[in-house]
Amino acid sequence: MPEIRVTPLGAGQDVGRSCILVSIAGKNVMLDCGMHMGFNDDRRFPDFSYITRNGRLTDFLDCVIISHFHLDHCGALPYFSEMVGYDGPIYMTHPTQAICPILLEDYRKIAVDKKGEANFFTSQMIKDCMKKVVAVHLHQTVQVDDELEIKAYYAGHVLGAAMFQIKVGSESVVYTGDYNMTPDRHLGAAWIDKCRPNLLITESTYATTIRDSKRCRERDFLKKVHEAVERGGKVLIPVFALGRAQELCILLETFWERMNLKAPIYFSTGLTEKANHYYKLFITWTNQKIRKTFVQRNMFEFKHIKAFDRAFADNPGPMVVFATPGMLHAGQSLQIFRKWAGNEKNMVIMPGYCVQGTVGHKILSGQRKLEMEGRQVLEVKMQVEYMSFSAHADAKGIMQLVGQAEPESVLLVHGEAKKMEFLKQKIEQEFRVNCYMPANGETVTLPTSPSIPVGISLGLLKREMAQGLLPDAKKPRLLHGTLIMKDSNFRLVSSEQALKELGLVEHQLRFTCRVHLHDPRKEQETAMRVYSHLKSMLKDHCVQHLPDGSVTVESILIQAAAHSEDPGTKVLLVSWTYQDEELGSYLTSLLKKGLPQAPS
Amino acid sequence: MDPECSQLLPALCAVLADPRQPMADDTCLEKLLDWFKTITEAGSSLLLLQENPCLVELLCHMLKPQDLSSRVLSFSLRLTGVFAAQEDCFQYLQQGELLPRLFGEAGPLGGAAWTAPTVRSGWIQGLRSLARHPSALHFLADCGAVDTIFSLQGDSSLFVASAAGQLLVHILGLSMQGPADGPPSLQAGDWPACAKKIVGHIEESLRSTATPQITQALNVLTTTFGHCHDPWTRVLWVRLSPLVAGLLEKDPVPAAHSLVDLLLSVARSPGLSSSSCGLWETLAQTLSRLSPTQAGPLALGILKLQDCPQALRAQAFAVLLQPLACVLKATAQAPGASGVLDGTVGDFATVDTLLPSKAACVGLLCRTLAHLELLLPLPQRPCPWPQAPLLGAAVTLLQLCQGSASPTSDTGHHLCALLLGCVRVQRAALDFLGTLSQGTGPPELVTEVFAVLLEYLRSPDSSPTVLKKAFQATFRWLLSSPKTPGCWDLDPQALLFLRELLPVLQKRLCSPCWEVRDSGLEFLTQMTGRWGGQAGFRHALLASEVPKLTEQLLRDPESYVRASAVAATGQLSSQGLCISPASPEHPGGQQSPLSELLHILSTDSEGFPRRAAMHVFTQWLRDSHADVVGDTEEFVAGVLQVASQDLDWEVRAQGLELALVFLEQTLGQPGSPCPYAVTPPVVAPACPLAQALQPLCRVRLFEFAFRALFDCDRPVAQKSCDLLLFLRAKMASSSSPQEARSSPDVASVEAALQRWQAGDQAQPLGDLEPEVVLAVLKSMDLEGLRGALAESSDHVEKSPQSLLQDMLATVGILGENEADCY
Repeated sequence: MPEIRVTPLGAGQDVGRSCILVSIAGKNVMLDCGMHMGFNDDRRFPDFSYITRNGRLTDFLDCVIISHFHLDHCGALPYFSEMVGYDGPIYMTHPTQAICPILLEDYRKIAVDKKGEANFFTSQMIKDCMKKVVAVHLHQTVQVDDELEIKAYYAGHVLGAAMFQIKVGSESVVYTGDYNMTPDRHLGAAWIDKCRPNLLITESTYATTIRDSKRCRERDFLKKVHEAVERGGKVLIPVFALGRAQELCILLETFWERMNLKAPIYFSTGLTEKANHYYKLFITWTNQKIRKTFVQRNMFEFKHIKAFDRAFADNPGPMVVFATPGMLHAGQSLQIFRKWAGNEKNMVIMPGYCVQGTVGHKILSGQRKLEMEGRQVLEVKMQVEYMSFSAHADAKGIMQLVGQAEPESVLLVHGEAKKMEFLKQKIEQEFRVNCYMPANGETVTLPTSPSIPVGISLGLLKREMAQGLLPDAKKPRLLHGTLIMKDSNFRLVSSEQALKELGLVEHQLRFTCRVHLHDPRKEQETAMRVYSHLKSMLKDHCVQHLPDGSVTVESILIQAAAHSEDPGTKVLLVSWTYQDEELGSYLTSLLKKGLPQAPS
Repeated sequence: MDPECSQLLPALCAVLADPRQPMADDTCLEKLLDWFKTITEAGSSLLLLQENPCLVELLCHMLKPQDLSSRVLSFSLRLTGVFAAQEDCFQYLQQGELLPRLFGEAGPLGGAAWTAPTVRSGWIQGLRSLARHPSALHFLADCGAVDTIFSLQGDSSLFVASAAGQLLVHILGLSMQGPADGPPSLQAGDWPACAKKIVGHIEESLRSTATPQITQALNVLTTTFGHCHDPWTRVLWVRLSPLVAGLLEKDPVPAAHSLVDLLLSVARSPGLSSSSCGLWETLAQTLSRLSPTQAGPLALGILKLQDCPQALRAQAFAVLLQPLACVLKATAQAPGASGVLDGTVGDFATVDTLLPSKAACVGLLCRTLAHLELLLPLPQRPCPWPQAPLLGAAVTLLQLCQGSASPTSDTGHHLCALLLGCVRVQRAALDFLGTLSQGTGPPELVTEVFAVLLEYLRSPDSSPTVLKKAFQATFRWLLSSPKTPGCWDLDPQALLFLRELLPVLQKRLCSPCWEVRDSGLEFLTQMTGRWGGQAGFRHALLASEVPKLTEQLLRDPESYVRASAVAATGQLSSQGLCISPASPEHPGGQQSPLSELLHILSTDSEGFPRRAAMHVFTQWLRDSHADVVGDTEEFVAGVLQVASQDLDWEVRAQGLELALVFLEQTLGQPGSPCPYAVTPPVVAPACPLAQALQPLCRVRLFEFAFRALFDCDRPVAQKSCDLLLFLRAKMASSSSPQEARSSPDVASVEAALQRWQAGDQAQPLGDLEPEVVLAVLKSMDLEGLRGALAESSDHVEKSPQSLLQDMLATVGILGENEADCY
């Protein structure tokens, strides 16, 4: 029985370390290869030993697909390809291919900086890994091999994020990665066509939430920054090199312009240049508004945002600084935080999630006395704010996408079990499809019934049309023909054509049956009686009495013969072709009942 | 456990036990468990539980019917196992009936929580931890756990199923440790109860007709024989081997992959392989019964064994070579020319069976090539090694994929159609071809190798990954080409090849694909490093456009390519092969590679090219590059000034590396810690240390190093600390120790350093006198700083107290933050 199998190694009933294995029509695909930033040991990567017990990964997996550049979706990729040993193709969109190494490099530097870790991938490994990437365009059908094809759809969320359709023959799976169904300030909304996949694997981060508009959060953010700057405070915004940083830069830039503010805004590393370069390069991936205004003014060329120098942190007066890393766990952002933490006029805005063990996590959970190295206590008097700018589809958005794609089944990943449970019921009720939510390591198996395409000959079609019946897609109808399997193709042709093509001679197949009749008369008379009887019974059929004494009804032949042992009995030999099987059987049963009494 | 943690623990246990207060983060529970494992490994669990009764209360709480989080329940099961690993603590928990209630039918096992895989996983891991002593074995037998484990082997979760198998192996090993009077007999009568039960289950599974059950049994045995080499495993194998051999009678052979794993595990086990239970016969039979795809790993495994019968090795090698022999036979111009395995491959029907469809053909060929590639470097590889036929096969495969082969037979044409343009086979064959360069080959074949490599490097159809592998294989073959031992020059044939290769490289350096340009540059750097000093190579290279293109690629839009161009330029320049690049400011004028790379270091917007430039500069300084020795001080001063300002901490760290090289060259090598090490002749300063420090002061090395001590990025600070400690060691060993003077200069430097440490790095130090540097160095607590740097923010990140505080602080404020990962 053909089937689709899905096993999450990560993102099964959790968020982080996305890695989903899909087997479809004999092809094995890995969807995303993420890392968990909350662990500092091997647990940060998915356990790849479960992919296959037998043989090499490169032989087992047909390809790896990366949905977008966030580390929980691509962070384990260099480890997987350069240290575990996967040597096959990796697919992602062009922007993801460009941005992914920046973030991987950023994270590598933080990891090495913080821990001096030795067993971590190197810059060279990141580069070698990126060389294995095959970049794809939106809506471009890419043939991984003769049978497996993939196609990317726009997912919103972050620059270059894509949903992927994976198709083998008539079977298909759609994986959404992370997506956003409402446009935001610089990206559009996710979109997919009515592709009716066998299975839709969707993220479910906000499975139970109906989120307010991001605009409210943006207003709130600007208001807070403005207030802090107005009172002469310094604002620290810890960010990762790319993504949220650009989004917030656009916000502040336009606000500063509109309000004619003078306080300086700095970005702490040179990374922003490259990031902005990519946002310019991939302008087609941003939303319509940005694309339109691009003609007049490039939104990523910032007038107010300048490069930061370490010495600026001590400058008097207000300022806003974007500094890496985003969780306040090392480097520049932590250093600035330490300097500014003691002043209540200052503010730190955390625009994203922080893992346990980071200063970011501590201050977000309300801790105000932090014991730093050497047991020094750092008192945090500055204002601490958390702002969620993450762009995921909410419950409404997920339902909308399911409605758009019309899948036969849905599978939820990248969310929490309880919330998934709620959404699962909702999807099953509303769309009448099965919805699954496997935990990590659990396999969901879906039986499929593959449709096999069959070509039909023109001759056969014409013959059908000649019978006067026009084809109707909604009404199945019977059609006789011969199925030819040749060169991995199926064709339906007329039997004459099949015989001709295959160089075969037609064989006649006739069914025969003997019916015993008690009739002492001569054979000719018996045959005559049969003829008369059938003529009267089968008024719509052509019944003939032939000169040799036999009787025919259509293609059915009936002959009477004497019984070798019993002269009072005659034997009727009935024979018919397989085309007249129905009539032949009927006649036999009729004759078995005997003939009407002849008038004496 | 320190008192602070003891104080926090009751509150945390209360939170964990409260279903209304969900734990946000799985990682916290994992880290908490790690901490408990560390504590219990170092001390008494019983004492821990007695001193912290809240822990037992938490475990007892798990027994109450309530809407508990499956994560917390799983954590508690695992935690119980960690405590019960010590026998006295096990007894303590048994007294309270806690263990049977947690792990027995009455516990989660019988409840709704069991549907969560994380709970089943916690249950198994808990038992895995506690199964360390005889009491635990009795407990397992009494509470019926073993039967549950049997059923969990077929769990829907891969993690649970695998852990169940591992646990069975562990219990079997533990229970067999008990009998002290030598290994048990073949009859099960005298086996310990648990072992008897497990072995019985394995036997039953092996007799089963259901493949999943057979697979589970085989996997348990594979792990057992792989991990344990006690005498009892031999008895076990003697007992079970007929059942295992019986699997080969079935058609098709069930669980073939697992069977191969088991047989190899047995063959590798020192006590078992020599036993007289027909292992070699079983292996031979398995080789002949399995399909080529299934038999490949077994054949490789057999050939890797240290001692096994020659006939079996020959059979295994034949299996491994068969697909390549097929290819050679199908494409042979004259019959009987394959030479790999004459006679083994019968007719074309074998080819059809071996390589029936495209997918099967590609898969089998890739696996075969990978297996042979693994085998080639091993000392136990088959001898004689059929180098020439294998070279021929690799070349033929590459030609088939490229469409340049001209097969004469129908089967050959069929193969050609299957493999044409197949990137997977191309990649595997190029890797294999590269590995084959370790051996030699007949000259005509080597010519063919170079020809096919050139064909790939030239072909517009070659994908970037294929090109990269073609470059790598080419370099390896060029390396292997010398005919005279000890002479690393390129032979005339290789030089001829080089003349054809360079125009191809030239073209590839102009590729629109950055991956290709980068691989081309990496290849150039490797070649120049190897043969840059050889006249033939120099001549060919200088006659080509390659050096000019390399110079142009310093301005490539892709930073990876710029970085590789920097490395290539550094290498070319070291060998005097660099053409003088035109300055961007003065396109007509000439600029040295040094100023060009300095320009990149100071202006490139990305880290990779700047880091590459620093690598080149450090190497140049080490090698006394011509551009550097002219005025080393100016060079070092210029580089350090730029590097110290860099935003990328790795560039700053490399700046310190360069500073260290300069320091060593100025003052001599640090004292070698190894008394037997050969130390290079030291350019020891004949002058007093202070005088020797003059050049270091002139290049402003100390201001950079002192500033770096307080760098926000730890590796930079650590490197600087090491550099200054090295200098201080020099001071101590100096023949004329300098008297530290207390002067206003020293005081002002110390004050500046204190301000820097406090975070205010605005003030510069100005010109430093060597005596001042020495005095400041003497007064600094560099060891203390190094200790603090080594510890860094570990308290925040790793200390249990910090973890407990975080977990408690998170309670109640869980909003959207929890799922808001990115």
